[in-house]
Amino acid sequence: MFEGIPADVGLVHEGERIRRNDMQVELGGPQVNEKFELVRLKPPEDIEQGAIHIIGPDLADLEEGKSYPFGILVEIAGSELEENLEGVIERRIHEYCNYIEGLMHLNQRYDIWIRISKKSFKKGFTSLRYIGQVMQELFKNELPIIETIQITFFTDPERVGEQYKEALSIYEARDARARGLTDEDVEVFYGCALCQSFAPTHVCVVTPQRYANCGAISWFDGRAAARIDPKGPIFPIEKGECVDSLLGEYTGVNESAKERSMGEVDRVYLYSGFGYPHTSCGCFEGIAFYIPEVEGYGIVHRGFRDLAVNGLPFSTMADSTAGGRQIDGFHGISIEYMRSQKFMQGDGGYEAVVWIPKEIKDRLADYIPAPIYEAIATEDDATTIDDLKAFLLAHNHPVVQRWAEEEEVKEPSRMPVLTAGEIPITTGGFRILLKNARVYADKVIIQPVQPKKPGRGESS
Amino acid sequence: MGTKDINISIKELETELGQIRDLKFSVGRLVQESWTEPQGPTPFPSITALRGWDMTLLKRYRPFYMPFCDLCCLCTFGKCDLTGDKKGACGITMSGQQSRIVLLAACIGAATHTSHARELVTHLISEFGEDEPLDPGGLSIEVEAPNIRLVCGVKPETLGDLEQVLDYAEEQINALLASTHTGQEGNPLDLESKVLHAGMIDHVSMEVADIAQISAYRLPKADPEAALVDIGFGAVDTEKPVILVIGHNVPPAVEIMDFMQDNDLAGDIEVTGICCTAIDMSRYSPRAKIIGPISWQIRYIRSGIPDIIVVDEQCIRTDVLDEARLQKIPVIATSEKNCLGLPDRTRDPADAIVADFINGSADGAFILDPEKVGEIAVRTAMQIAPHRKRQKVPRSLEEGIEEAKKCTQCRLCRRACPNDLHIPDAIKAFARGDPGMLSDIYDSCVGCIRCEQACQQDIKIHSLITLAAEGKLRDESFKLRAGRGAIQDIEIRQVGGPIVLGEIPGIVAFVGCANYPGGGQELAEMAIEFANRRYIVCTSGCAAMTIGMYRNEDGKSPYEIYPGNFEAGGIVNVGSCVSNAHISGAAIKIASVFARRNLRGNYQEIADYVHNRVGAVGVAWGAMSQKAASIASGFWRLGIPVIVGPHGTKYRRMLLGRSDHEEDWYVYDARTGEEVYVGPVPEHLFVAAETKEEAMVMIAKLCMRPNDTSRGRALKLTHYIDLHRRLIGAMPGDIHRFVRTGADIPITMKEEILRILDEKGWKETVIPDPTLIARQKTEQQP
Repeated sequence: MFEGIPADVGLVHEGERIRRNDMQVELGGPQVNEKFELVRLKPPEDIEQGAIHIIGPDLADLEEGKSYPFGILVEIAGSELEENLEGVIERRIHEYCNYIEGLMHLNQRYDIWIRISKKSFKKGFTSLRYIGQVMQELFKNELPIIETIQITFFTDPERVGEQYKEALSIYEARDARARGLTDEDVEVFYGCALCQSFAPTHVCVVTPQRYANCGAISWFDGRAAARIDPKGPIFPIEKGECVDSLLGEYTGVNESAKERSMGEVDRVYLYSGFGYPHTSCGCFEGIAFYIPEVEGYGIVHRGFRDLAVNGLPFSTMADSTAGGRQIDGFHGISIEYMRSQKFMQGDGGYEAVVWIPKEIKDRLADYIPAPIYEAIATEDDATTIDDLKAFLLAHNHPVVQRWAEEEEVKEPSRMPVLTAGEIPITTGGFRILLKNARVYADKVIIQPVQPKKPGRGESS
Repeated sequence: MGTKDINISIKELETELGQIRDLKFSVGRLVQESWTEPQGPTPFPSITALRGWDMTLLKRYRPFYMPFCDLCCLCTFGKCDLTGDKKGACGITMSGQQSRIVLLAACIGAATHTSHARELVTHLISEFGEDEPLDPGGLSIEVEAPNIRLVCGVKPETLGDLEQVLDYAEEQINALLASTHTGQEGNPLDLESKVLHAGMIDHVSMEVADIAQISAYRLPKADPEAALVDIGFGAVDTEKPVILVIGHNVPPAVEIMDFMQDNDLAGDIEVTGICCTAIDMSRYSPRAKIIGPISWQIRYIRSGIPDIIVVDEQCIRTDVLDEARLQKIPVIATSEKNCLGLPDRTRDPADAIVADFINGSADGAFILDPEKVGEIAVRTAMQIAPHRKRQKVPRSLEEGIEEAKKCTQCRLCRRACPNDLHIPDAIKAFARGDPGMLSDIYDSCVGCIRCEQACQQDIKIHSLITLAAEGKLRDESFKLRAGRGAIQDIEIRQVGGPIVLGEIPGIVAFVGCANYPGGGQELAEMAIEFANRRYIVCTSGCAAMTIGMYRNEDGKSPYEIYPGNFEAGGIVNVGSCVSNAHISGAAIKIASVFARRNLRGNYQEIADYVHNRVGAVGVAWGAMSQKAASIASGFWRLGIPVIVGPHGTKYRRMLLGRSDHEEDWYVYDARTGEEVYVGPVPEHLFVAAETKEEAMVMIAKLCMRPNDTSRGRALKLTHYIDLHRRLIGAMPGDIHRFVRTGADIPITMKEEILRILDEKGWKETVIPDPTLIARQKTEQQP
C-alpha cells in the first residue's frame, strides 16, 4: 500500500511525539498564526482525481529547525457525501498523518501543529507529496464513499493567509449549522452499540441534540460512521413518529431499543431521567441524579473527587446508573448533552438542576440559561442537603415552588420480616411454640456460620 | 458486616405457655447488612462447585504435560516409573501425577498467602480492633473487595469480617490438599479443576491480606501518585546503621519504623528491604529503601552493609543465617513458619537480647512479637554499627583474582547455572585480570549460587561476580512508584471508552518472581515497549522492582517517565505479591462497572464475562515460586491467560489452545442463541515463551477477545502484526483467524491482509455477544 513512501505507515505510530531537537521542520504550531486543515465537498468535475498540489516550497526547501505557516485542503466528491460530513472526514487527517513514522500531528482546524522528524527526513521523507499519497490511500480504503479526492498543501505564506481566512469562515458556518440543527430537523437518529462489547444491553441513541453518553460521538459522527460501515456498530434509527416531543419519545427509537436490547428496554424518553430514561453503559461522563429532598437534579462528573451534595461519591452513584438499565433518577449523560437545548427538558431542563460541580458549571456558563445560573449551587455553596435547601431558597430556585406544601413525614409502618403460624424452639428439655409469631427487624440476613458443605452451592 | 457469637440467656420468662427458666440462645453470627445485591448461585463454593466452568475452560485449553520428573516417590510403594503408558503402584498415570504435583504447588502457594493473611489479620485485629473499617480506596472505590464479593458472596466492612473469609479459605485448601493423598483424585482434569480452585482461593486470601494492611496501616489507597521511593544497592547511605528486612509480611518492619519514629531516629538509620516486605514497608513510609528482588539477598548480605537482619516469611533463603554469621550480622526470625533453628526469645527482655547481639554471644533470635522486634532491631543496629563499620574489610580485586586462579575449568558451575551463563570463561578472564566478562554475567545472574555449590575448589563465584561488578552495584540507585493498591472504579470507567473505540489495545500485567532467563533488563524493556504502545501496564512484587531498576538515557526509571494511572501508557505498580488481587480485582470490577453484572457469589458468570471480554494478559517472566503457580491459577480460572519465561516450563504443564481445531473456538451469541466461530481468542491460557521477543508477540496476540469492537480488533492486530514483523521478521501466519469482518483489518495494511485472507479462503463472521455458558445464552434471550 505504501511501497513508495520512505517511512513506515501504521497505527503503531499514533501518539509518537517529536521533540524540538529531533525535528526537521515544524508546520503550523504555536510559533505561527496562520495554519489550517480543511475538507470541502466539491462537484466531481471540479476535482482532479488523485492530484496532489504543493503551493509554495516543499519540505526539502524549508530551513531546518524552523516553523512555517501551513495549510492542508482536501477536496472530495461522492454521491453519498454531504456537507454535513465534512467535519467528521476532516478529523481523519489527524489520524492518518499520525500513522506516518516520524510525523507528529496535533490538534485540528486552525490550530494544527505538525513536526517532521530529522530521522525520517534523512531517510528520504523530503516531500509533502508523501503525506498526500498516504492520505489518499487511506481515505480511499477507509472511506469508499469518497469517490474522488485531491489534496493541496500550502506553504507559501501569502496563499496560506488567504486560505486561512476562508477556512475560518467555513468553520464558523459549519458550527452555526451544527448548533442550529435540532432533532426535529432530521428524520434519522443513530444508535451506537460500541459499548455492547462490555454492556450487552445498552445502546446509545445519538441525535443532533443528544450526544452519546461517552461524549465522543455526535450525530454527525454517527451519520458518517453508519454510511462508511453499514454493518458496523453505529447504525441509523428511523426516528418514526414523535409520541411525546417534551419527553423525547419516538416510535422508531422504541422499536430499535427493543430489538437491540433483546426486549429489555422497549420505551425510551430521550430527554428525561424518569419513566423510561435512556440507559447508560459504564463510560458516561456524568450522572444526573435526582435529589428527592429538593425535587431537583444534581449533576456529578467523573472527575469530581469529593462527595456530591447528596452524600454519595460518583463511584457509588455510577454503580446505580450503569449496566444498560433504566433506573429512575440516575441518568448517565455526556457533558456535551448539557449544552443541548433539549437537555433533560422532560424534567424541566436547567430549571430542575440544583447542583453542579464548579468545574462543570464554569465550563457550561454560556449554555445554562442566565436567570437560573446563579441559583444553581456548586460544592462551594452546598455540601449537604440542608445547605442546598437553604441556598435554593435564598436564590429562589424554581424548584422551591414545588415544595409549596411540605409533606408530613409519616413514620413508615413496620412490616414484619417474618410471620409464621408456629415457630418451635427446643431448649434444654423445653419446647416453646411461638404462635402467630411476627418478627420485626431493620434487616435480617440469615447465613450459615460455616461455609457450605461440599456439593452445595453448585451451579446447575 | 456482622457480629460473632452472640449468647442470650434469660433466667426467667413468663409467657402464656408458662414459666420458662434458664433459656439460652446462641447465635453464631448476627448479620446486619446493607448490601442489597442478590446472592448468586455459588457463595463460598466448595471444591467442586465450579467444576463445570473449569471443564469448559480445560476442554478448550488442554493440559500439555512436560514431566519435570518421570517418577513418583510420594509413597512407600514407589519410586514408581511413570514413563510411557506405565502406571504407578496406586494406579496413577504420568499426566495424573503431573497435575497432582501442580495441585500440590498451588496448595502451597494458596496456603502461604492464606496463612500470611491470617497472621496479618490476627495481628491487625489485636492492634486496631475487629471493628477497624476496611477502606482500600476512599471515594474512588465502590467495589472494595471484588474477589471476596465474587467468591464468598459477602461484603466485608471491617477487619473482623475478614476472619470468616479466611475460615473458608483454610477449609478449602485443606480439602484440596487432602485430594492429593495416595489413592484419591487421579483424573488429570479433576486435579486441574482443583488447581483452578486453589488459585481462586489464593486471590481471595491475597485480597484479604492487602485490603487489611492498606486499611489498618494507611498504605496508599488506590493512589496513582503514590510516592516515588528509592530502590537499589547504591541508594543506601552506608555511613548510617543499616537494618535489612527480608520476606513478605510487613508488621515487624512497620514496628521498626514506628520505633524509630517514636524515638526520633527516623533519619538516623537506613531501613532497607528485599522482596515484598521491602515493597510493603515503602508503601508505609517512603523513607524505607528497597534493595531489590530475591536475587539480591546473597550479594547484599555478603556486602556486609546490613548491621542486623530481620526475616519474616516466604522466599527467604534458608541459608540466610549461615551467610549472616560469616558477616557477623545478627538475625531475628519473626515468623512461626520460618524459625531458622533459633532459640525462642519472645519472652526475654529486649535489653538482654540486644546485649547478647552486641557482645556476640547470640547470632540470632526467634521473636514472635513484632513490637519487640522493632525495638531490638533498631537498638542493635544503632549500637553494633560503629563496631561493624570499623571491622569491615572490603575485598580487593587482587584478592579476588587470586581466588579465581584456583579455577580448574571443570565447568561444573556452568552446568549448574540455571541460565547457562559462561562462568568458566569469565573466571578465566578474571584470573588474567580482566573483570569485564564476569561483570557482564552480573546482569543476567539470578543470585541462586548454584555455581558455588557445584564448585569443587570452593570458589565464592557469586562474590567474584559482584566484586567484578562492584561499580554497577554502587550505581544501582533508581526510583520506584510505591505500591498504590487497588485500581479505582473511576479509572476503569475512564478507560472503557478508549478500549471500545480502539485506542487502548490491552492490559498487560508483569508480575511474579525474579528467576529471569536473561536478567531483569528484559522485563523492563517489555514493560516500556507496551507502555509506549499505549497498553495499560500493571505490575507487582519482584517484577515491579525489576522494572524500576532500569534507567533510560536521561537517567530516569520507567516510574519517573510513565504515569502510575490505570490508563493508556501507564505503568501501575499495585504493590507486593498480595496486591496481585487488585489486578484480578480490576478485571472482575469491569463486569460490575460496565455491565452491572452482580458479583455476589456469581463466579462462573463473571469469569465467563472476563474471559470473553477483558483483553488482559499476565506475564510472569521470572516465575519461580509455588505462590506464582497459585497466582497464575487464579487468573486462569477467570479465563485470563498467563505467559511465563522459559523456566516456567518447569511448572510441568501448559494449558494450550489448538488454533487448528476449529470446533474449539465457538461461543454462544447471547443475542441470538446461535453458536458462532470467533477464532482462537485468547489462544492459550498458560504458555511459556523462550525469548523476550516471543513473549512480546504472544502478549499482543493474547490480548484479543471475541467481544472486541472492530476498531479495537484492528488496533490489537496492528500491534500483533507489527511486533511479529519486527521481532520475528515475517507476517504472522494466522492473521486470517483473527479477522472477523472487513472492518477488523488495520486500515494501513488493508491490501496486504486482504490478499492473505483471500489465499486462506477466509469467510466473514459476526461479532457476537459472547458467552461459553449455555444458560447465559437462554437467559438473555427475549
